[in-house]
Amino acid sequence: MSETYDFLFKFLVIGSAGAGKSCLLHQFIENKFKQDSNHTIGVEFGSRVVNVGGKTVKLQIWDTAGQERFRSVTRSYYRGAAGALLVYDITSRETYNALTNWLTDARTLASPNIVIILCGNKKDLDADREVTFLEASRFAQENELMFLETSALTGENVEEGFLKCARTILGKIDSGELDPERMGSGIQYGDASLRQLRQPRGTTAQNKQQCNC
Amino acid sequence: MMERAMEQLNVQLSRLTRSLRRARTVELPEDNETAVYTLMPMVMADQHRSVSELLLNSNFDVNYAFGRVKRSLLHIAANCGSVECLVLLLKRGANPNYQDISGCTPLHLAARNGQKKCMGKLLEYNADVNICNNEGLTAIHWLAVNGRTELLHDLVQHVSNVDVEDAMGQTALHVACQNGHKTTVLCLLDSGADINRPNVSGATPLYFACSHGQRDTALILLSRGAKYLADNNGITPLDLCVQGGYGETCEILIQHHGRLFQTLIQMTQNDEMKENMLRQVMEHVSQQSDSHYQRILTSLAEVATTNGHKLLSLSSSYEAQMKSLLRIVRIFCHVFRLGPSSPNNGNDMGYNGNKTPRSQVFKMCARQMEVETVQKDECSWTGSAVFDPLELLWHSLDEWLVLISTELERNRKNPSSSSSSSEIASLLLKQREVDHSGSEPKLPSLLDREAAMETEVYADGEDVISMTASRLSAVIQAFYMCCSCQMPQGMTSPRFIEFVCKHDEVLKCFVTRNPKIIFNHFHFLLECPELMSRFMHIIKTQPFKECCEWFYEHLLAGQPDSDMVHRPVNENDILLIHRDTIFRSSCEMVSKSSNEKLKQGIAVRFHGEEGMGQGVVREWFDILSNEIINPDYALFTQSADGTTFQPNSNSSVNPDHLNYFQFAGHILGLALYHRQLVNIYFTRSFYKHILGIPVNYQDVSSIDPEYGKNLQWILDNDISDLGLELTFSVETDVFGAMEEVPLKPGGTSILVTQDNKAEYVQLVTELRMTRAIQPQINGFLQGFHTFILPSLVQLFDEYELELLLSGMPEIDVQDWCRNTEYTSGYDTQEPVIQWFWEVVNSLSQEERVLLLQFVTGSSRVPHGGFAFLMGGSGLQKFTVAAVPFSSNLLPTSSTCINMLKLPEYPSQEVLRDRLLVALHCGSYGYTMA
Repeated sequence: MSETYDFLFKFLVIGSAGAGKSCLLHQFIENKFKQDSNHTIGVEFGSRVVNVGGKTVKLQIWDTAGQERFRSVTRSYYRGAAGALLVYDITSRETYNALTNWLTDARTLASPNIVIILCGNKKDLDADREVTFLEASRFAQENELMFLETSALTGENVEEGFLKCARTILGKIDSGELDPERMGSGIQYGDASLRQLRQPRGTTAQNKQQCNC
Repeated sequence: MMERAMEQLNVQLSRLTRSLRRARTVELPEDNETAVYTLMPMVMADQHRSVSELLLNSNFDVNYAFGRVKRSLLHIAANCGSVECLVLLLKRGANPNYQDISGCTPLHLAARNGQKKCMGKLLEYNADVNICNNEGLTAIHWLAVNGRTELLHDLVQHVSNVDVEDAMGQTALHVACQNGHKTTVLCLLDSGADINRPNVSGATPLYFACSHGQRDTALILLSRGAKYLADNNGITPLDLCVQGGYGETCEILIQHHGRLFQTLIQMTQNDEMKENMLRQVMEHVSQQSDSHYQRILTSLAEVATTNGHKLLSLSSSYEAQMKSLLRIVRIFCHVFRLGPSSPNNGNDMGYNGNKTPRSQVFKMCARQMEVETVQKDECSWTGSAVFDPLELLWHSLDEWLVLISTELERNRKNPSSSSSSSEIASLLLKQREVDHSGSEPKLPSLLDREAAMETEVYADGEDVISMTASRLSAVIQAFYMCCSCQMPQGMTSPRFIEFVCKHDEVLKCFVTRNPKIIFNHFHFLLECPELMSRFMHIIKTQPFKECCEWFYEHLLAGQPDSDMVHRPVNENDILLIHRDTIFRSSCEMVSKSSNEKLKQGIAVRFHGEEGMGQGVVREWFDILSNEIINPDYALFTQSADGTTFQPNSNSSVNPDHLNYFQFAGHILGLALYHRQLVNIYFTRSFYKHILGIPVNYQDVSSIDPEYGKNLQWILDNDISDLGLELTFSVETDVFGAMEEVPLKPGGTSILVTQDNKAEYVQLVTELRMTRAIQPQINGFLQGFHTFILPSLVQLFDEYELELLLSGMPEIDVQDWCRNTEYTSGYDTQEPVIQWFWEVVNSLSQEERVLLLQFVTGSSRVPHGGFAFLMGGSGLQKFTVAAVPFSSNLLPTSSTCINMLKLPEYPSQEVLRDRLLVALHCGSYGYTMA
């Protein structure tokens, strides 16, 4: 029967080709490292239900191709994303340098309130590092991003990356900064709260919605 | 002393007369078993005086249990409502709590049958209301099941626990909810029943109400604060409502739990939910108000968009996502077409007053399109906002197609790399298939290595197309559906046409690589001839069978309830045909019937015969089509070799001829529509006329080979110096008188020369083949197109059309033998069966046709051979069934199921003899054998 969750968040994974976006997604969903991964064609998709702060949240994750030729296609998936993982490869300066472009895309094409976490991937290849932690964290600070270094190979910080992002979104919902009822927020209610709680909290939401129509 | 004796005598006498009058003794038999059967009928009829009299002086045990279920008389009285007897029995000490074999007390039975007075008396005599029967049911369960609120109200005060559970954990409230007894539910709730009580499988009262679509009951429960709880398997009340298609109950649930709206919308992605049920529910909810309508559509559009995006993601399952997307879009379009709810039920603030009726919108659109094509995006109305979420998907689709066209461009620039990469890609694809199937051995390791080296290329260029083509095409199909539902029926959206033109190259590339795409997703082609022509050359190269399936799939797509195989026939819809005036009576009956009814199905009965069903329909088409070409009506003329027909240019001798041509067109169209074969073969040129293909001079040969040869000769030789003195005119024989007809204006004075002879031949051909019978052709097509749209039939060429209409001309006995089944004792080894086939082999072609007609009702073999023989409900092979032999017994048949009932003849000679007798006497006409 239908899946049970409190919220559904639309997530994006963006960044240059070869940064390890698909591997991050694969590690998060399957808990495995994908050995022989090809370039992503267009946009791939995966989902997982997680528990964050006592709420069940279904993450609907869109993993985009990093190659330039797919840019126009992948851009058409940005709209209505609630969160994004902006990924670069710590062993490749090039992927780091491209971050500004990706960031601009995300902020202009997705919802302006999009919650972005910066992921410096391939943490396990420390010997080949071309981007220091300090440098990246400074970039994150300047651009108001959360920041983590991850390894899709070992799985280090992968789960944290997604969960941190989800937690921040939940926080914004609680504080009223984000309104799930608004179109294009990238957030949807599930019916989990109904199935468990005595009185649906939805009654208040419902009233609100009735008068703003 | 005397007096006493007299008195005694009188008593005895009166007893005797009473006994005689009632035809039985007034004494109760000694043993309980016999006595109880004496008393039972009296108790049932509540003859309490008799009972009391009988019991007066007897030793009968009032608690004596009898019969299979071991009930006492008190049970009987309670069950039948015999209140007087009941009281009598109770007074005589009957046990009010006596339980029968199933654990039922008299009170249970009284409650079940609503015997109010009995229940009252039983309670007076201290019947225990809390006793359960073996299934755990108590009296209040019985009352609740049947909604006996008044009785329940009285009884419930005596009940210690209103939530008493039966063996399945069900309370009275559960059963009352399931059956939708509103007042009973209220009564139970008022008496303190637990509104959220789950049974053993976790089902609550609300769950029960929803499982049976009890809207009002659900409303009561929800307004009293019932919780929305799933059962132990996670099935929620909303799931149940959708499964049952209970739109009204869904609506109530959503009213109380706003968030269920999203859940409902999400359910469209669940392929376990039946589409028609979902559609029914969405339809209902959308009609509640304008804002509901808008919200349903917007949300469906969002879900469709997400699904479309998933479909475009290569690792998703193409099959599942494609089906899901198309299902959602179908529901979306269905709801959109309904329009917002009627305007008189809304003081809806949400919708601005700018309500434009749909028809006006269309008119407006049409006008605006004519005037200014540039602004056609402006011709949207307020309602089209619901399409907005889908624009995201269409945008992605567009970007994908642009991307692919760039890839194509790039490959064209460096063809060498592309060809090698595509080769490798196809090798890789093959290898993938092998890997998937797992059964075949792996390809040589050399290739493995090579493939591994080229994986980069694999994900590149050409094969992006092969990997995405089907997925993109499915989204295109969805796009077409959404475009069309905003247009009036039969009009193609200019936006869609523009879209196809823009991506013409990519789409052609798709279908060239994978022609199946046409049949799977490009249904729009069948609806827009202007787009069809772009793909025609590709379609023409496809196997006939697939085109055929596509044709019928689309033809029957609009039929309601196509999953309902057997439709009961309304007596009024039967075409009653007179066998001896088959043409006229058929014409009359068909013209009286509505085209829609005829499309749904045909039922034919011949006057004075009993036979009905597919066999009769087949025979009707068969004989009727043969009658249409009967020379007596002068409608059709034979070709030179006498096997094919075309309209007779002189048919006007029959004053009603054009109506008859229309009728002939009707019949042919109807036959094609219902996959029935007709017994006519037309000339090649007439098939071309039906298809709208221009004729050429070679077609002349079929009706006048000599003349055809002459035309050929003119074309083949230099005519300059022959002095033929031909002009652009022709002499025609109209019933003996010769008339000169110009081939073009002033043709009589234009000479035919070497330079213009080709034009002459074409014009002569057109005159002979087309112009001379134009009115007849038009009449025919008018009828034909009633059932078969011209855009649909153009899928085929003239040869294929002949196959479609008339089936295969020759009977292949081997194929026949291969596709025959045997029942009731026969098999291939049986001598009778071997004789039978030897006989069939020895029959003439004509006799074989008779045999086929005798058994199937039609003289034609369907396209594809005997394997595709149709019966009343789908494919039905030719079957031979055994019948015990008695002398002179003839074979019989059931044409509906293509069955020959062949007696077990003692010898081949007898079999042959009897079979031929049956064929020559019985291949026409039906009586119930």
